[in-house]
Amino acid sequence: MNSFINRRTNVKIAVGALVCEESILKGDITIGPNTIVHPKASIIAEAGPIIIGEGNIIEEMATIVNRLPVDAPEPTTIPVQIIGSYNVFETDCTCEAFKVGDCNILESKAYVGREVELTNGCIIGASCSLTESDTIPEDTIIYGSECQRREMHGKPYPPISQIEFLLKILPTYHHIRKPNIVPTKNEGGL
Amino acid sequence: MSYLNQPDYVCYVCNCGSLKPISKIYFCRHCSKIRCGYCVCQEVDSHYCPNCMENLPSSEVRLKKNKCSNCFKCPCCFQTLSTRAGHVPLRVAPADAEDSKDVKTTPKKVYYLSCSLCRWTSRDAGIPDQSMATGGWPEQENPHTYRINTLIDYHKILASIEKQQSEKKKFRPKHPYMQIAMFRITSAMVRKHIGHPTKPTTESTDQPSPAVASTEVEELPTDIFTEPVEVTKITTLEQRLQQPDIQTENVNELRPQHRQLLVRRSQRCRVCEHNLCKPDFCSQSAKFKIQLAAFYHVPEVRIVTCEPLRPGKSSELLLKFCNPTQHQTQVVLLPLDTPMTPILTIVDEKEEVKQDNAQQESESPNLLPSIVRQVPVVEETKPIRIIANADVVFPQNCLILPRRDDAAEYDDTGDTHNFQDDPKFVIWRKGNKAVIKLHVTPHENIEENNNRPVVIGFVMQYRYVNTITTLEHKAPQKLDLKVKLYLTIGNIVGSA
Amino acid sequence: MIHMSCLRSKCKGKFTIACNFYVLCFPPASSPGYIAARLRGTTRSVKMLRTYEGIRFFSDKQMVILDIGSAYTKFGYAGEPTPRGIIRTEIKCPDSKELRKIYNYKDTEDLYQLLIEFLHALFFKHVVISPKDARIVILESLLVPTQFRDTLAKVLFRHFEIGSLMLLSTHLATISTLGVNSALVLDVGYKEATLIPIYEGEPILKAWQALPLGGQIVHEYLMKSLREIYPNVNITEKLVEDIKVRTCFVTTLERSAKLETADAPKPPPAVKYPGVKSINIPGEIREKAFEVLWERDNDNLSIPTMILNAIIQCPIDTRRTLAENILLIGGTAMTKGFASRLKSELLTLVKSSHYSEKLKIQTFMFHTAPSKPNYTAWLGGAIFGSVDLPLRCLTKENYLKSDRVPDWVSLIDNQRDESTVCET
Repeated sequence: MNSFINRRTNVKIAVGALVCEESILKGDITIGPNTIVHPKASIIAEAGPIIIGEGNIIEEMATIVNRLPVDAPEPTTIPVQIIGSYNVFETDCTCEAFKVGDCNILESKAYVGREVELTNGCIIGASCSLTESDTIPEDTIIYGSECQRREMHGKPYPPISQIEFLLKILPTYHHIRKPNIVPTKNEGGL
Repeated sequence: MSYLNQPDYVCYVCNCGSLKPISKIYFCRHCSKIRCGYCVCQEVDSHYCPNCMENLPSSEVRLKKNKCSNCFKCPCCFQTLSTRAGHVPLRVAPADAEDSKDVKTTPKKVYYLSCSLCRWTSRDAGIPDQSMATGGWPEQENPHTYRINTLIDYHKILASIEKQQSEKKKFRPKHPYMQIAMFRITSAMVRKHIGHPTKPTTESTDQPSPAVASTEVEELPTDIFTEPVEVTKITTLEQRLQQPDIQTENVNELRPQHRQLLVRRSQRCRVCEHNLCKPDFCSQSAKFKIQLAAFYHVPEVRIVTCEPLRPGKSSELLLKFCNPTQHQTQVVLLPLDTPMTPILTIVDEKEEVKQDNAQQESESPNLLPSIVRQVPVVEETKPIRIIANADVVFPQNCLILPRRDDAAEYDDTGDTHNFQDDPKFVIWRKGNKAVIKLHVTPHENIEENNNRPVVIGFVMQYRYVNTITTLEHKAPQKLDLKVKLYLTIGNIVGSA
Repeated sequence: MIHMSCLRSKCKGKFTIACNFYVLCFPPASSPGYIAARLRGTTRSVKMLRTYEGIRFFSDKQMVILDIGSAYTKFGYAGEPTPRGIIRTEIKCPDSKELRKIYNYKDTEDLYQLLIEFLHALFFKHVVISPKDARIVILESLLVPTQFRDTLAKVLFRHFEIGSLMLLSTHLATISTLGVNSALVLDVGYKEATLIPIYEGEPILKAWQALPLGGQIVHEYLMKSLREIYPNVNITEKLVEDIKVRTCFVTTLERSAKLETADAPKPPPAVKYPGVKSINIPGEIREKAFEVLWERDNDNLSIPTMILNAIIQCPIDTRRTLAENILLIGGTAMTKGFASRLKSELLTLVKSSHYSEKLKIQTFMFHTAPSKPNYTAWLGGAIFGSVDLPLRCLTKENYLKSDRVPDWVSLIDNQRDESTVCET
């Protein structure tokens, strides 16, 4: 098989992050502080490592996957999927996007394909799927069955109060993975 | 009920010619006929808001233009807007001499509208946040209202002039010399004859200024050829048409509209003017005040199974009959071409008359006397397009179905009815239901690859007890009513 | 030549064509003395009307105004400045369960069922009024097919049992929004563009013009050109309509003359249209979409020639008034750049060899109605319907007795005799 695919699960969890035991983690993953990974969330780093920033919420059944499309040629470098901070991945959404910025919200059952790049403040509505190669401009809202678009005034609020609540409640109901060594400054910076 | 999801296998033929399953037809007890949604008169019963479930009386509805005053519709995606609270720190203005660190900031609750689907908020449109949770949202005015009102008033004057003219014409005497010979000569007439104005003429100030045409028209902006266009900032046609008087092109200028009210309808038989179905006044309850659905009066027929059908060969068909009424009924199956007149049997010791042509008798006394009643509007019946392509062997004996007994399911003593049933005809019985076996022979000339299903038709005659005590008949009448049914029993499997 | 006049003592000798249903004669607005003379006999009634001016009574039943166009239906109540709503003229067919346009009917039976479904939804979902004994005003073009008209009346009277129906001509009703008596009304809608000049409150019927140029042709052009570029994407008419409304426009006369030649000017920038699959709309298509309305076809006809031909066919002394009172209505006339292109085309055509001999008019003036052009006709009906004119309506009893709708085409309604005018 391909020697570039990292089969060994290597998860680096920063202090302050909350990763539930029942979540599915495969591959080389770095999770920043204050990020919450619900049980049954999947983060699969097949083709390369995934770096997740701070303050993200990854809910149940959400899938963040770094995989190459079936017929793509071999890349010369290992593709690294970078997710920014304060994003919300709601239940059952799928994110294969190569690069995700900050303060985005992917609503339930949203699908973002590989070629799409999400900048900051985008909201992908429920059940919308983006498959074409596109860069979504800032503060765009995609909604409706036909993926209509709209510009929004101002950014969506980062879900700080929800993060605080979850940090208090989740440990009482689920087993939590222990944080590893805190990643150094140069690794955390994007 | 499976009637919502499945296609209609068993269709009853209504008096207007439409084919409907039993869940969609009504039974008029006064006319003893079947009616369906097509041939009844539908009326608006009550108005309510689908979001806040508020019931409004009809006079208020007209004032509010059929719109709910509390609920708004998102101008972007047309979903209902919800009110959200935000906190805005309100600074209490300090007096001049005070230090800035003594200033207190009290968080005040402000409300804004937001949509859950497209995340539009009233702040996007520039509407200021309200301090009250309900109401207070600014309304938009139509800029042309004043001009249109003056035009309407002017037209009213013209119409009154026209009415006067037409009335004068009616009473205009045919011969001119009669005018002089009339006894009553008023001063107004004399003045008119002479030609003087009768009263000082009022100025026609109520005539609105006519519109002024101009050679200037709206020009095409020249930057349209060079400026890139952001489609997300332009409104779609549907969004524009929500507000017909303004029809703005920019998304920023879209304003939320009030939610439209929905109605509850009541149905009324056209012939006898009685209500067939009247819902409850309260919008939150799904009950009915009057519900004369055929499901509760006409025996229901369901297909249990059918053997695989082959053209020219006889197959067995099992049908289940259910009697929903409180009286015992007799069901007889007749071929399609039997005449549909109901047969009246009056069970009264004094009159034991069986009348065949009971058409006039079975018509109920109408609510209004015939003088007041308007000319009955007759609509042509729809032609029945479905053709039966299989023959049914009609059994000679009739099927007796006992009355519906709600307590029977808790009663373990079993069926006390001892019906002498032909075991080849009646296969199964329980309470008010029975399953019978029929033999069906599809026609020879049906082709297998023709996707038309096999359809049989027959007339079901059932005994119905009319419990309405009318003026003429003191005892409840027993009628033998007939209804045509068409059943789609399956597709052809294999050839002869 | 068939003149039409109203119930007046002066028009004894002329034919009266369906007086009760079509023509409203205004007293000429130019002479206030004339109005004063008429008001002499009626001052008392006018005074009585004055006292009621401030109060707007809600009569027992409001009149419902419907304008059923080929693409959109405008509905509302009389006396209001805007329609309650504008919806598409299409309905889910009960048999085939697909969305069908009402005007794409196969035969009378089909139209009957479609109209029943559509009017049912209109009455109970949008207009929200019990159809029984309602009073309805329907705006229709004078050139509407008789089959449609008769079926509509049959559905309304026999199925819904309405109280009374008034059929108003679209072009005539619009001038009541202006307050003038003469106008050249051009209605550019979805299926076709129709034009009827109105002088002193009377339509000059012999100068009618109609061409199948409207939104439908623009949609077809757009669908064809987009399908060539994107053969894999499902391009529906609804999508094309949205593209047309948001991105396309009518270009200027100078640019359009150069478009087909080698010296084509630089096209406007392309627009990215997002969706499930995003489409890029090239600038040429944006500019050329509406050109089909201005191209002269084999008979040398197009929208600007309609206006000029109509003016030529009118009597000479009416021509100047008509040319100075042009009114554009209809959804397609709202396109960006339509009015200015029309004006420049008219000015150019008038100087061309074809028209310079016959027409000596040099100026064209346009009106703006107090409404958006796509519901101006509805507004005319609303203003007209707010007054109570029972003589002009077709009541249910009369319809059921005679079983037909009075029509300006048929001779039964065009009697020379005065006595038959008032009754139906």
